Amino acid sequence: MAAKDLAIEVRTKESINAAGAFSIAILLIFSFAFDPFSDSMHEFAGGLLWIAFAFAGALVFNRGFARELPNECLDALLSSPLSASSLVLGKALANFVMLIAVELISLFVFGIFYNINWVKHPWALAATLALATWGIAVLGSVFGAMTVNLRLRELMLPVIIYPLLIPLLIGAIEFTTILLGVDPIASSDWLWPKLLLLYDVVFTAVSILLADTILVN
Amino acid sequence: MNMAQNSTFLFYGFLAAWVIVLLYVISLAQRGAKLKKELEDVKQLVNSKAEESRVR
Amino acid sequence: MREKLTYGLALGAAAMFTYTLYRILLMLPDELMQGAIYRIMFFHIPAGIIGMIGFFVSMTMSVWYLSSKDLKFDSLAASVVEVAVLFACINIVTGSIWARIIWGVWWTWDYRLTSQLVCVLIFFGYLALRRAIDEPTQRARLSAALNIFGCVDVVIVWKSIEWFRNNHPGPVLSIRTGGGQMDPRMDHTVYLNLIPLLLTGIALVLVRTRQEATAREIDSLRRLAHAAA
Repeated sequence: MAAKDLAIEVRTKESINAAGAFSIAILLIFSFAFDPFSDSMHEFAGGLLWIAFAFAGALVFNRGFARELPNECLDALLSSPLSASSLVLGKALANFVMLIAVELISLFVFGIFYNINWVKHPWALAATLALATWGIAVLGSVFGAMTVNLRLRELMLPVIIYPLLIPLLIGAIEFTTILLGVDPIASSDWLWPKLLLLYDVVFTAVSILLADTILVN
Repeated sequence: MNMAQNSTFLFYGFLAAWVIVLLYVISLAQRGAKLKKELEDVKQLVNSKAEESRVR
Repeated sequence: MREKLTYGLALGAAAMFTYTLYRILLMLPDELMQGAIYRIMFFHIPAGIIGMIGFFVSMTMSVWYLSSKDLKFDSLAASVVEVAVLFACINIVTGSIWARIIWGVWWTWDYRLTSQLVCVLIFFGYLALRRAIDEPTQRARLSAALNIFGCVDVVIVWKSIEWFRNNHPGPVLSIRTGGGQMDPRMDHTVYLNLIPLLLTGIALVLVRTRQEATAREIDSLRRLAHAAA
């Protein structure tokens, strides 16, 4: 399932291009709002990045299930022996990979625009990106599936998803800011990755449990 | 902050709480009236359809 | 029968309110440091409690719907969410007014107010979703799923924002501190005011559920009319 979506994406590159461009545009606009070379930039860095990622993510998810609408592909997929939860997880995985790609590109550009050194704690940063992005991807896929047949789909998805994502974004922003900052990581800071992990575990489980309810008519 | 201002804001607070409830109750009443009318209309529709089929 | 129950509840609430308002406004003295404004607590705290309880009650209703497929539970869930959002909004607005006096600003991003706001946003999404779906069974199914996600998130939201900020006065109600922090008359009055607010909430839920039932009746009659055509 994931492989199919990724194959389509690699060939057309539609989502990644749109999301990537969008993310870079946000970073650019923010450079006019704040002084990019001020010392306090470190405090905003995490927040800025995750705002960009969250909004870029919305672009990716809207395409996710919308892609299945023409030619009734979605019905075909549902009648296949694939279980609903595999469908959702597969989409999530594909979205995850696409989002990570967008994030890595953005991170690179961000480092240049704002003169932030992001290779200081590479593994911790990678883990944070992975955990937080997975949470976004799972929720995006589940609610992408839920809203795919609704009118005002593009509006409904953000309205529903962003409040739900707030704890995840808090954890991601806090820890990313710490990782990109100048102070060493305090032991109390590891609270945030734990929050991300908790969030991921809980919501992946709930998604698997409710996948049938959401997809099967 | 002096006592008068204190009490004024207290009044605002209570007012706010009650206004919110009142607005909701009004919206409920409006919805109820609309539903009632719709119900009447649909009942009439069903009756007229029944009449038609009886006549036929 | 149901109408009588609703009126009964409303009257009961009104009666209790006269008593509690008398207590709040006339019996209790002004608090030493806060002056008169603290009396807002008697609406702020119970409204918050009812809001929270409401969200979890509605989740239970949603789960019940998913297992029984009886639309009655879906109507209950939706009605309870609406009323819970109402009380949560009252909590936020009164909290903000209190904050204006005590801390000098309308909003302080303190963790409880912020968490409550996030919860309201989550359930606004729920209500928006319901508006966007016309077919009753699909609406019930999808909003039930969202309700479960939302309630699970509510728990995580509260904990995470608490870790993030800490500004609100610490727990003062006796159930959390074991007594001794607040004048017992005030403490009791908070719980006392909870009752009429709860009765009002239940009355509103009953009215709303009745409306949902009427809407379903209209729906089925319409289908009957079209079938007879």
